[in-house]
Amino acid sequence: MIKLEAIEKSFADTTVLTGIDFEVDKGEVVCLIGPSGSGKTTLLRCLNGLEIPESGRITINGDSIAFSHKQKKYPINNLRRHTGMVFQGFHLFPHKTVLENLIEAPLIVKKQKRAPLVKQAEELLNKVGLLEHRNKYPDQLSGGQMQRAAIARALMMEPDVMLFDEPTSALDPQLVREVLKVIETLAKEGQTMVIVTHEMHFAKKVADRVLFMDHGVIIEEGPAENILVNPEKEATQDFLQLLVDE
Amino acid sequence: MIEGFDNIQWHYLFNPELAYDSLPLLLEGLQITIIIAFSSMFFSLILGLVVAIMRMSRFKIFDLPARLYISFMRGTPLLVFIFILYYGLPVIGIQFTNPIVAGIVGMSLNFAAYNAEVIRSAISSVSRGQWEAAQSLQMSYIQILRRIILPQATRIALPPIFNIFMDIVKGTSLASVITVHELLYSARIVAGRTYESMTMYVAAALIYWAVCIIIGFFQQRLEKRYSRYLYTR
Repeated sequence: MIKLEAIEKSFADTTVLTGIDFEVDKGEVVCLIGPSGSGKTTLLRCLNGLEIPESGRITINGDSIAFSHKQKKYPINNLRRHTGMVFQGFHLFPHKTVLENLIEAPLIVKKQKRAPLVKQAEELLNKVGLLEHRNKYPDQLSGGQMQRAAIARALMMEPDVMLFDEPTSALDPQLVREVLKVIETLAKEGQTMVIVTHEMHFAKKVADRVLFMDHGVIIEEGPAENILVNPEKEATQDFLQLLVDE
Repeated sequence: MIEGFDNIQWHYLFNPELAYDSLPLLLEGLQITIIIAFSSMFFSLILGLVVAIMRMSRFKIFDLPARLYISFMRGTPLLVFIFILYYGLPVIGIQFTNPIVAGIVGMSLNFAAYNAEVIRSAISSVSRGQWEAAQSLQMSYIQILRRIILPQATRIALPPIFNIFMDIVKGTSLASVITVHELLYSARIVAGRTYESMTMYVAAALIYWAVCIIIGFFQQRLEKRYSRYLYTR
């Protein structure tokens, strides 16, 4: 489903990603963990074309882009067509109601008909438990509700892969669960997902595979049990110990 | 108490009878004032939006001309600009047959620069996350700008845009230097005839104020409309 080859990325003179290779299979749930500044968010954003790597190749569901620092413009929608993005800060459109947020892109980008879209949106809202809030503005929702709406908005484009960038980091502790539950449901339905997260219990529960990143490289990867319970590398052990200490 | 308050000659400041009698002439001038003001506002908004978008471009061929334009228009007096436009341009073969058109062109070009800066700051005050979310949903630059960014920027830009609008209304008085028979010009005609210039200036000022009050009313309504999505807890 996803294949990354030798991805390099730097901001100004700091290297953020150095030679990243990894693959995600269809239906797989992969969690990216690691200390802040390790490059995991940047890696996720590369998959959606929000960051452009200097070199390497990204292939998602058959569409492939090879990057080089000589080139500036890429047919980035070839990647975006397959991916849905959920942000740490939700980024719902505040001037549109929840329902309008959901149907905006399919209506405008895919030029789909409104009536079936509304039906589809209402089904999704029902699934994330927001049907009764469909005519509210984002400003009237709690953080957890906003994030669930944002997930539904991304799902409306029927992406092959869902990308989550620390989806619960901006939430109050008591709102984290309702968002994680939605993501778990998606996992059970076989949705392919790449999730950047600090929620280790969640990662253990939901991830087929966990990648630990540090200083722009993948230090180790494997089944959740192995990485989170019995990590081999010292950097991973230190990182997990730090979380336990907290 | 001012010395000899009872002896103040109030009719020197404002003679209601004269003001009332000259009202038809003033309102005729007001029509021209309104035509110039609304046209100038309309064109300067559109041009301002274009200049603002150019100014935000990362390509120098768009950004540099926009910067130069804004710098020149903000840095030169409107009065001089209108004057040159009407009396100077005929030298190089460009002649306005109608001074009203010259006034509209001059004011539109000049105030577009101010509008551009207001629009630019309003657009950049919309968070980057809004762009990114829309991009991730495959929306194009134009779609994002039109459907996501501008509606939010409008709310932020409304108060300063209406400041500019009122400036434009009052700025139309400068068109009198190129013989446009607008409100202040009409007031001056009566003033010249009756030597009661103070009354006429006060009357004109009150009419400008009235127009601005009406515009302010629309500002309030628009502000309310564009903030209705903000929940007041």
